[in-house]
Amino acid sequence: MMPAGNLTRMVVANTLRSRRHFVLSAFGIVIGIATFVVFLASTEQVGTVLEKIFPVEQVQVVAPRASLLGKDISKKLDDAIVQKIRARPEVDRADATAVVPRMSLSFPAFGRGDFEGNDLKFEVGGFADGINPDYVSDDERTRELFKDWDGKKDDPKRVACTPPPSDPQNEVIQSPPAPKGSHSKPDVYYNPCPQPDRYYCDDDRTCHHRVPIVMSPTMIELYNGQFAKSHGLPIAELDFVKFITMRGGLSAMRFSIGLGLTTVAGSNASIARNKTRRVEGVLVGISSKAMPIGMTMPIQYIQRWNREFLGEDAATAYSSIIVRLKDRNQIAVFSQWLQDDLDLRLEDSLGEKFATALFVIRLVLVLISLVIITISSINIAHNFFMQVTERRRELGLLRAVGAAQIDVLLVVLGEAALIGLIGGLIGVALGLGIARGVDWGSGYYLPRFPYKPDSWFHFRWWIVLGGLICSTGFSVLGGYLPARRASTMEPAQALTQN
Amino acid sequence: MVGSARVSDKSTAPKAPAASTPIVRLRDVTKSYGTGAARTQVLRGVSFDVEAGEFVALVGQSGSGKSTLLNIIGGLDQPDAGEVEVFGVDTLRCSDGRRAALRNASIGFVFQAFNLLDHLTVLANVVLPASFSRDAKDVEARGREALRRVGLSDFAVRRPGELSGGQKQRVAIARALFNSPTLLLCDEPTGNLDSETGKEVIDFFRELNAKDGVTLLIVTHERRVSSVAKRVIAMRDGMLAETTDEALAAAHGSGPA
Repeated sequence: MMPAGNLTRMVVANTLRSRRHFVLSAFGIVIGIATFVVFLASTEQVGTVLEKIFPVEQVQVVAPRASLLGKDISKKLDDAIVQKIRARPEVDRADATAVVPRMSLSFPAFGRGDFEGNDLKFEVGGFADGINPDYVSDDERTRELFKDWDGKKDDPKRVACTPPPSDPQNEVIQSPPAPKGSHSKPDVYYNPCPQPDRYYCDDDRTCHHRVPIVMSPTMIELYNGQFAKSHGLPIAELDFVKFITMRGGLSAMRFSIGLGLTTVAGSNASIARNKTRRVEGVLVGISSKAMPIGMTMPIQYIQRWNREFLGEDAATAYSSIIVRLKDRNQIAVFSQWLQDDLDLRLEDSLGEKFATALFVIRLVLVLISLVIITISSINIAHNFFMQVTERRRELGLLRAVGAAQIDVLLVVLGEAALIGLIGGLIGVALGLGIARGVDWGSGYYLPRFPYKPDSWFHFRWWIVLGGLICSTGFSVLGGYLPARRASTMEPAQALTQN
Repeated sequence: MVGSARVSDKSTAPKAPAASTPIVRLRDVTKSYGTGAARTQVLRGVSFDVEAGEFVALVGQSGSGKSTLLNIIGGLDQPDAGEVEVFGVDTLRCSDGRRAALRNASIGFVFQAFNLLDHLTVLANVVLPASFSRDAKDVEARGREALRRVGLSDFAVRRPGELSGGQKQRVAIARALFNSPTLLLCDEPTGNLDSETGKEVIDFFRELNAKDGVTLLIVTHERRVSSVAKRVIAMRDGMLAETTDEALAAAHGSGPA
């Protein structure tokens, strides 16, 4: 067999010799690979965005709704069930946060706060969830602040405070005191607590740390897409921490929650209305573990409040249990066990449906690009058959001066591989160019909407590598039969070709 | 004018066999083309030996099988039956790689149609056999030396299209001599040349044989070529023919004297 260096030199020289042949052979590969990488990169990016919206690595266990004469008789999700789930082989027992119960605030609550000079009022009841603080550990700051600050009964930091003046409107307003001489509405807010991160609690007349709250990125997207526009508020940058920092840090996102208060008619009448009181919350971070819509706080707060307003049952019944399985493929087994043994079910996962749809779309797109590449491979075969016929005499001469059959085979296959590789590189470059164009068009013409990505494409290394391997492989495949014909033809006959 | 025919020493060149061992040994070689009714028997049991250092002319009318025989000796074609040994190698049964190595290191080919690659320079054409050889030493120098020997030192960077027929054949000879072969197989080397250029080529071959001991086997129609050969093998209808003057005259047909 000829030395590799000589083979390479001969292949390069032969490939560059005939530009017409090169263009004819490489054109299809370029188009095929460009579509291949663009399709893969776009579906990859859509998948990434979908996973942000719907985390697919976890499932949520819920109790099927059941009622009798208007009374909720659904199965209770309690600690016993949590323990049973934790013992399942599909669940990683070493991971303390593999099974995380959630508890909803089960009675009305009303929130009010100030944001960028706007007095915001919103319902909290039904939109507040409690979760194990250990589960939420997105960053250092969140880990430090997201915990049960009221867990200690005799916390020495919970100092007694002088009560504030009574609120004439019986409402809690967070606005800072108006400057002297101002004609604005007389302030009704007074924080007698020595530490700025604490608030005065009417209930026990001591200073409490504000209830730490995290929100999901979905909330930011909803804020940007809907709320900010309609209220003339600034758009939150993607780097949300930076956004918050620019506005005085996360502690600026404070609001009060009137437990037992609501503006919605027909609210739960069985709660102890005489107990209504206010607490203060503070946004400490953005977490993908937070419930998509609403606020998420340490579960201990929700448990205490549910117990206080609704009784012990409400304090021990979870609304759902988040389970992270070892492997997504075990979902079916786990789901069956839930139904058969516990009479529970997995919450319908929109994310999983989207992921399946995306998988099918990706499969179709990849198949389309593979069809294009296959056609280009056939085109390469056709071109190479013509080439080999045209070059019979040359190939015969190579045999006469010492080329073995394998040498001729490798020379022709090498030319096909080189055309495939160069075609693949140009195809990848073309794909990148198309992606840039689409991104530019998207940024320029498409309005902002929730989860709109900066780029619609994610060119992972394996996509580029796969494109190049595909282009080279299919090209070699196309060149194989012509190469074989070239290597097996009788040199004596080839040399006598006119 | 063709230059000196001295062949330089080369480590990879095949060892010339002992004087008693023939370089080429053919026994009952047969070859046919086509199938069925279109089947044509080209060689019908040809047997002869070529000793080292011989200058053999293979003559015969068109279609007598002499070019086929030359191709079989050079491993460019395979016979249907018989025995073919070149430098002691059974080329009928050895591997394709072995035959290719033999052609590369020990055998030089000169064709009537020159068979130069037009996209390469003259020098690149001459050093083409080096592409398939592990011996990468002084390739360019050896190529230039081969060109010097055929009197084309100044034509190294030219393209074959810029050369005359005689010059092209001299480039082809330089290519054949590049690896210092022991056996030179020439198929009508003067067929496309005018008589003056043809004479120069014949003189060069004679000198090559006399001074360097290169074994020459030349297929020719021309009497002037066969007349300088030390041995003439005549062929008729795929078989060896008598080499009487009459037979030779018939074999040469109307070729130039």
